[in-house]
Amino acid sequence: MEKRSIWKHAALAGGAAGLVNGFFGGGGGMVLVPLLMSRCGLERRQAFASSVAIILPLCVLSAAIYYIRGNLDLIQALPYLAGGLVGGLIGGRIFEKVPVAWLKRGFALLILYGAWKALTT
Amino acid sequence: MTWGIAFAAGTVTGVLSAFGIGGGSLLLIYLTAFAGVSQQAAQGINLLYFLPAAAASLPSHHKNGLLDKKVILPAVLAGLIAAAGTAWLSNTLDTGLLRKLFGIFLLYIGITQLVKRDKPGTKNTSRQPKAD
Repeated sequence: MEKRSIWKHAALAGGAAGLVNGFFGGGGGMVLVPLLMSRCGLERRQAFASSVAIILPLCVLSAAIYYIRGNLDLIQALPYLAGGLVGGLIGGRIFEKVPVAWLKRGFALLILYGAWKALTT
Repeated sequence: MTWGIAFAAGTVTGVLSAFGIGGGSLLLIYLTAFAGVSQQAAQGINLLYFLPAAAASLPSHHKNGLLDKKVILPAVLAGLIAAAGTAWLSNTLDTGLLRKLFGIFLLYIGITQLVKRDKPGTKNTSRQPKAD
């Protein structure tokens, strides 16, 4: 792919991920991974890994804004953070050995359950 | 007790987040549907929670040559501008409305992930990451 074309497609993909990630406080990866694969020519595992690197700075900025607006309780968040650190270490290690395509189907069912809960309660 | 459950929920979703998909949304679902946290506060926790999990997984991804800098740089620049605007907007919205919009977003993501099949040969046409 031509270099300028990669820049344009990557910027559009990142912008879309930023819109979602700032608004919903997450979910940017769900938008980003398919775009990195279809528009930027990344293979699945590259797309998954690169999406983590892209979302990370977006989350730093968004978290700062949520904090300023009074919607981020640091003490309440602490145990989730500690768990997230341990989980991230494990996930990075086993990443190469996990059938991601199969996992995605399982996620989809959990996400639909979450959608149902959000829309009905 | 509560701390232990929160730690366990963070660990499970942290593993999934390291894969770059699913984890963050599942924590949001857990926080709002099971832990009784408001939508905005849950989103704040989710943003902060992602940072250590992502940072911890990046060295492994880098070592495995999976990070494509030519794609990452422009995506981050555009993403920062977009995220700043929508993060601000989201914090001014009514919690109930935001939760419904979140439900619609999840519905869309869940359905597309269920029905979408990868195109055959996608892997063969991919670019290899530069080892720089």
